[in-house]
Amino acid sequence: MTRDSADPRAAFEELALPLFEPLYNYARWLTHDPIEAEDLVQETYLKGLRGFGSFAAGTNFRAWMYRILRNTFLTSRSGLRAVPPVSIDEDPDTYEQISVSETPESLFFARADSETLRVSIEALPLLFREVLVLSDVENMSYREIAETLSIPIGTVTSRLIRARQKVRNTLRGER
Amino acid sequence: MTSHMTPEEIEQQADGEAEFAEHLRDCAVCANAVLGAMQMKRAIRAMPRFTPPAALRARVLAAPPRRSYSAWWLAAAAVLAVVVAGVVLLRARDAAARQLVDLHTTILASANPVDVLSTDRHTVKPWFEGRLPFAVDVPDLAPPFHLIGARVIYWRGQPGAYLLIGKGAHRISLFVFAGDAVPRAIASHAGMSIEVWRARGLAYVAVADVPANDLQPLRQAFARD
Repeated sequence: MTRDSADPRAAFEELALPLFEPLYNYARWLTHDPIEAEDLVQETYLKGLRGFGSFAAGTNFRAWMYRILRNTFLTSRSGLRAVPPVSIDEDPDTYEQISVSETPESLFFARADSETLRVSIEALPLLFREVLVLSDVENMSYREIAETLSIPIGTVTSRLIRARQKVRNTLRGER
Repeated sequence: MTSHMTPEEIEQQADGEAEFAEHLRDCAVCANAVLGAMQMKRAIRAMPRFTPPAALRARVLAAPPRRSYSAWWLAAAAVLAVVVAGVVLLRARDAAARQLVDLHTTILASANPVDVLSTDRHTVKPWFEGRLPFAVDVPDLAPPFHLIGARVIYWRGQPGAYLLIGKGAHRISLFVFAGDAVPRAIASHAGMSIEVWRARGLAYVAVADVPANDLQPLRQAFARD
């Protein structure tokens, strides 16, 4: 990939357009709403283009674009509603410990159709939902998620565990 | 074999962020947990993705955008701020009305509604001196109004003058405060008329069970120089 300094817009589009579908997908997971997701993606591209000069070449462009989209969402009406005013990162010691008698996960994932799975992920609070989506839907590494969300890797791990536990509990409850 | 893997280690293994091959070879419990975590990941990744409408790509490529997401949000915030300010103002007026009507009723129900009983304004005005941080001008009241007495009251943490004025069998409470703690207008409350006016840096609030129009001469008498 080359950055043509003569035409920053072309350089931006070359980097940003391959992210079009993933950004829209992420926007849908954040907003739960197709219209809002469209506006969010459009605003993200506009802000990205405007701020492209401040993007440091060689750093993670994908994380940069996701971060713009997320920040735009968080300052929107539904974004402000989605984030609780207090921290939700609880003590990792409260995680469920592995139980020997636990039903193998495979049993209920075989039964859980993707619609049930989607509903249980959509029910997650935003801060848990986004790490799960970035990790398991967008296939980001812990490091890249940490960079996108501007949080430590340890927080990524603990939120991810709690997100997955919540989804598992929901699926179990629906057995 | 030592203890089982922690929940973090299970997820890290499933995510390919760490490797615990040795332990997993010997521990069926942890191997099962890792397998479960990987199956869940796979199930999530296999979910159908949201596909953007074709028109969106065209819109994104065309600048400037049809409308701005943040501009829309700012407009909504502005509308909300106006509504909230309006509600707060109305509530403040409402609260002031309730408090002043309560004061009026309490004072009238008291055995000694006033501390100085005098129909003579020249007695009442000096009585307030040293009791209040401002001077209270008591005009000569023309019939049907007549001065009954006065006292000092406290409302919302500040001292004020209280004048009890009669109009026939009706009793009118006239509160006088310095400063701008009194709302510009106070709605009538519980069948009481409330009249608010300002003169020479003082705020006057008249409360009585008479029609609001009947309070106008009183207002003119006090607002007059």
